[in-house]
Amino acid sequence: MARQLAMVIDSAKCMDCKACVAACKVANHTPEGQWRNWIKLDDSPPRPGASNRKARFQPGACMHCDNPTCVAACPTGATYKDAETGEVVIDEGLCIGCGNCLPACPYHARFRNAEKRKADKCNYCPERRSAGLDPACVDTCPTKARVFGDINDPQSEAGRLYLANKERLARVVAATDTKPNMFYLGDPGPEHWAGEAVIPASMVALKQSAPLIKGIVALSGLGVLVMLGRQLLAGSGDSHSGSGPSGDKENTDA
Amino acid sequence: MAQTSRTLSRREFFKASGLLAAGALGGPALLGGLRTAQAATETMTPAWDSRFGVCDMCFNKCGLIARVENGVVTKLDPNPKFVKSRGMLCARGNAGISHVYDPDRLKHPLLRKGGRGEGKWQRIPWDEALDMAAQKMDEVREKYLPCGHLFTAGTDMQSLFVERLAEAYGSFNLTSHESLCLVSGSRAFLDTFGEVPFADVLHSKYVIMVGANRFEALVTPDSMDLMTAMREHGCKLVTLDPRYTKTAALSDEWYPIRPGTDMAFMLALAHVIVGEGLYDPQWIEEKTYGMEQLREHVKPYTPGFAAEQCGIPAEDIARIARELAAAAPASMVYPGRRSSDYEDSTQIRRSFAIVNGLLGNWDRPGGLLGARAVGLKGVPYDAPWYDDNHDDRIDAGKVPMMFEHEGSFMVTRDSILADDPYPIRGWFVYKTNPMATAPNRAKTIEMMHKMDFVTVVDIAMSDTAWYADLVLPSQSYLERIDPCSGLQGSSACACVVKRDPVIEPLYESRPLFDIVKGIAGRLDLGEYFDFTIEQFREKQLADLPGADGIMDRDGVYYNPSKVYGIYDGLVYKTLSQKVELYNQRYEQMGIDPLPVYTPPVQPPANQFRLVVGRNALVTQGSTTNNTLLHEFVPTNTLWLNPGPAGKLGIADGDLVEVSSAVGRQAIRAEVTDKIREDTVYMLTGFNTLSTQQRLAHGNGASIAEILDGGYDTVTGNAALHLTFVTVTRKVA
Repeated sequence: MARQLAMVIDSAKCMDCKACVAACKVANHTPEGQWRNWIKLDDSPPRPGASNRKARFQPGACMHCDNPTCVAACPTGATYKDAETGEVVIDEGLCIGCGNCLPACPYHARFRNAEKRKADKCNYCPERRSAGLDPACVDTCPTKARVFGDINDPQSEAGRLYLANKERLARVVAATDTKPNMFYLGDPGPEHWAGEAVIPASMVALKQSAPLIKGIVALSGLGVLVMLGRQLLAGSGDSHSGSGPSGDKENTDA
Repeated sequence: MAQTSRTLSRREFFKASGLLAAGALGGPALLGGLRTAQAATETMTPAWDSRFGVCDMCFNKCGLIARVENGVVTKLDPNPKFVKSRGMLCARGNAGISHVYDPDRLKHPLLRKGGRGEGKWQRIPWDEALDMAAQKMDEVREKYLPCGHLFTAGTDMQSLFVERLAEAYGSFNLTSHESLCLVSGSRAFLDTFGEVPFADVLHSKYVIMVGANRFEALVTPDSMDLMTAMREHGCKLVTLDPRYTKTAALSDEWYPIRPGTDMAFMLALAHVIVGEGLYDPQWIEEKTYGMEQLREHVKPYTPGFAAEQCGIPAEDIARIARELAAAAPASMVYPGRRSSDYEDSTQIRRSFAIVNGLLGNWDRPGGLLGARAVGLKGVPYDAPWYDDNHDDRIDAGKVPMMFEHEGSFMVTRDSILADDPYPIRGWFVYKTNPMATAPNRAKTIEMMHKMDFVTVVDIAMSDTAWYADLVLPSQSYLERIDPCSGLQGSSACACVVKRDPVIEPLYESRPLFDIVKGIAGRLDLGEYFDFTIEQFREKQLADLPGADGIMDRDGVYYNPSKVYGIYDGLVYKTLSQKVELYNQRYEQMGIDPLPVYTPPVQPPANQFRLVVGRNALVTQGSTTNNTLLHEFVPTNTLWLNPGPAGKLGIADGDLVEVSSAVGRQAIRAEVTDKIREDTVYMLTGFNTLSTQQRLAHGNGASIAEILDGGYDTVTGNAALHLTFVTVTRKVA
């Protein structure tokens, strides 16, 4: 079976200390005011006496969905679902920063990185994983509420939790069911915060259209890429793609 | 699935065309870019070196691993082998990078040029700074005798060298941060059990959390272990707090208790447990002293009585008492840390300790544990004796049961202002900030004005430094070598840690050790610092062969010492050699031997009681200038219940003036039903006087400015919950 990297989370263990959010921010150099992960708060009014439920706080981030609406919304294929690992990946080299994918995520997991001017979100910390470490949020969590791994591997902690708790696993419910790969053990905590995936009409049209139209739209995308390539070559000779300010502006407005 | 393949093919098409385009234009740039992006998800040796460290963003000292790239720390991770913190690093720990690389850090020695607090400084070289510090200390000693100089040190692995300097210099006047924090609680448990306990919450079945907020005021391993106990072992948590804290939110039961009535609740628990015989008679007989006196004492403190005082239903109080007793000995009234609340705080905490005594939980799984053997040796020295000196500390004899080694900052301050019984004119402060942490800031400023010369050693321009004469930049916890420190982790561990430099020191910063060594040498006291920290550590570790190497390998050394049953065959370190429900020594000293409840004074009409509290993202004034933490907690607000807010015409977000008998501050109101109608709350550490704390200066309100300055009559611990305030809407 193919791998599916995922998180299995026990919301009831979360005390909203924000360690995961801080760790993510440092590990990924996320610009000021932008965040790749979050803790959703239960806003029900406090009631003295015995409590009826325990999960008040819900850790989250990109859910690397099986039905990733962000992928459908991406005009260049920069966002794709990795067939081997199950991750939803942003290829920064292909992202033109158009922002189509932002409203396409019903969990608001995506943002346009204010410095890179590209789509950004949780990528499970690849540099850390290749060094044998857990993603920063998982590694740092005081109560180990977040568990990461391949849920199809019964040897992994995530897989063990996933298999042992299959009947009571919950997912965040959004108006659009994207089949997220973020699983909560039992009560996931705060509800009704996720929205609807909004995919730009042009992309819907693209998806439903004949191959010919698809080809035309794709060719226009090729034009954008050629322009991008020109900008790159005209700019500095470093290996980072898409750094030209005017190119950014143009792509952002597109 | 069809959709996936469609998008993949689109991606492949674009990718191919992109490569073609780049290739056609002869551009290696895009190719390189793509290759890098791909490689990142596959194999790569880390770009960083990994080095062990010990966190210093609060007092917990969690083990960490610093990831260092080209001499710069890029990430701080938890040390997974560090059991005391259960292998975690909290948000503040992660924000340590912003602490070390804070652009507002002190960079070189500064000498005051203008008036105190005017903020005019002159950069001077280190030699000149040390000459001056030593010369001024010498002058103070000449004029006012050695005890005419005060030394104050915060929680730090080098603070023991401040103590050594004070003793070599000849002053008994040494205060720590603890009398602004926890000494009344320590006193109460010490005077009940003979030592200050560690709570084995991990194995507890029932925990009552009063006067503590363990899911926000993080204490390792208690915060994590409490969650594990609740989630995996079915432990029940009952919290009493006038605020709906995160701890309250996660509790099985929460009651918004009327502030200042905790003792009534505890005495009612004792009333039920004793009255209904819900204790282990053998334990009480063998291990405790004073059950008969306690039985008589708690008779009037019925659940009905407590219900009226606390605002908690009597039947719930009685039920909680029965549940607590049924879970004993694996149950507890949690011994909270910050116990500086009221003038009878020691007695309030005694009532907590007494209920624990009735539960028979001492030295047993799920109960309260004594300190385990760590094996670290003290490094003794013979302090010189000065015949021409005062007899005792300036705060001596003013409260009956002060901790000599901690002192009382509140009593010391009052005594200095009154020159009672003698003048103090010099002050050396290391890494603590009483200007921001002690109530009634105006008085601390007055105390500063009394001084001939004040030297402050810190990493940043704190408010205390802001009023000093000489400010010396110290090193962060990632830049220096520190002595070993022994840590207690309840049932988790007893361990030893050390610090070695992870990066080169920044700017002209120096470790405190070098500073006191430099001053001591200039005062002809060099013999007291005639060693290196490496040599000092060797002496500390003399009884632990191999421990140093293990710390190099794992970042921590564990002593596999006894956890439970430490007291088997031993007596308690109390007068009766038993758990003192009734304290004989108190009786002899004229202190209530059993806690007598006095109802708290109620706030006058249209006033509120101001309470203090903690947040997992703030360590008082030491983190409010941290850029990362500032993103989480950009300012402090005044929590105000919607009921009174409506009557006062205050809406959420309105600017309000909060004024007490001693000070006033402007702050935004946070109108919330997470607080009682008679109580208001704000975070500490904001609105600094120092303009060199750019994110905290002129931002929010300083609680130290508003809090009134009473203290616990037994220990001299600051009483932080005595202040009544009026809140009025500020018209812009």
